[in-house]
Amino acid sequence: MDFYVDAFYESLNKYNEELCGDKVEIIRNRESVIVVLADGLGSGVKANILATLTSKIIGTMLKKGADLEEAVDTIAQTLPICNVRKLAYSTFTILQIFKNGEAYLVEFDNPTIFFLRQGKLLEIPFEFRNIDGKSVRECRFNIGVGDTIVMVSDGVIHAGVGASLNLGWKWENVADYLLDNVKSHMPAREISQSLVEVCNHLYGQKPGDDATVVAVTIREPLEVSMMAGPPVSREDDSKVVEKFMSDTGKKVVCGGTTAQIVARELGRKIETTMEYYDENVPPIAYIDGIDLVTEGVLTLTKVVDIINKHVTSNGKGTNKDGLEGKDGAICLARMLMDDCTHLKLYIGRAINPAHQNPDLPIDLSIKLKLLEELAQLMTALGKRVEKYYF
Amino acid sequence: MEIIICVGSSCHLKGSHKVIKELERLIKENNLEDKVVLKASFCMGHCTQGVCATLNGKPVNCLTKNNVEEFFYENIAGRVTP
Repeated sequence: MDFYVDAFYESLNKYNEELCGDKVEIIRNRESVIVVLADGLGSGVKANILATLTSKIIGTMLKKGADLEEAVDTIAQTLPICNVRKLAYSTFTILQIFKNGEAYLVEFDNPTIFFLRQGKLLEIPFEFRNIDGKSVRECRFNIGVGDTIVMVSDGVIHAGVGASLNLGWKWENVADYLLDNVKSHMPAREISQSLVEVCNHLYGQKPGDDATVVAVTIREPLEVSMMAGPPVSREDDSKVVEKFMSDTGKKVVCGGTTAQIVARELGRKIETTMEYYDENVPPIAYIDGIDLVTEGVLTLTKVVDIINKHVTSNGKGTNKDGLEGKDGAICLARMLMDDCTHLKLYIGRAINPAHQNPDLPIDLSIKLKLLEELAQLMTALGKRVEKYYF
Repeated sequence: MEIIICVGSSCHLKGSHKVIKELERLIKENNLEDKVVLKASFCMGHCTQGVCATLNGKPVNCLTKNNVEEFFYENIAGRVTP
């Protein structure tokens, strides 16, 4: 079965806390994708340390092939003991999805995950197990394309306690919200960000606890081919365009000259629009058969900036606004983040003599560097990247 | 009459956006919306002489937001009647 595991998370800090007591690790190796959500005891620094240790230890050990007992045992023996409560404690949820479609779920004291398939909530047949005095529940099942799994920390379930809701939001209500709002094939980013936003509202923008949502969606592989920069040698133009056009996924052309080459080789017209949605991003253009045509360096700078914010945010400070808009850069960033699991980069290395002009306020000769950066960011998001140079 | 402004990276940095805004304003003020078509194009290949444009296919170079008004009255407004 060919599928892609799209995983994204978003956190809220407890009001007035600088650090989050929830921690998420998303690890991809050759056989599987491992997602760990840990919620440390208390809040602030102490909770953050507990959660970080827990998620890192579990993630790293499972990745290297250790079994669950070993990982839990290690945590039990390593976590620092809280002076106030005389406890070393962090709850956790582990989800491991293997290449063959098998999934392994382990939960310890976290709210049970939400498993959505074809608009219905599936019940998970847990088995209970005792590891080092901790009652852990686990389950093995199979996933399929279109499935959505949402993991939450208890801050989500308790959203609004004592403020807008007497008893908080409760698990059933979160489930109802997800059933109403999650459509199959929705990107994980959208699910996690929207659910966290609702929590924040329920808390009246002053969360009483750290709250984290991890969304995992199983999606069909989506390929995007992107051509950026003219080939060094003109004779290669037709060959590159032909190879680029023979790809089956979505197609993006980045750069004015590159767009002109593609249009010329295809014998099609290029229509440049005049709408400026962002003054700093030149308008987009249209070529028949190409999904998106943008300007080059300036657009790519903003694309890299947007995606970088999402990669380095640790579930914080990102908001949907960054990806809402119509300029070329936002369109491209959204496509790369939400509708791309496999990126093919056709990198032309010809140097634009006009871009070597020292009078320009921004260095335009950095396209190659930007594309390398983009490739790294996409890899960090768990997407497959292939690069071809011309 | 057709005027095409370059919005390639280089011309963009030299201010195509402002040139377009100015031209849009001037065309509107002179009621020439039906006579003058304003379009954009990617790189026209004369980046060192930006902001580049073409007027009925003939190249026009070195437009800026400061000289575009003069250019408009000399080459566009005088030649078409509203």
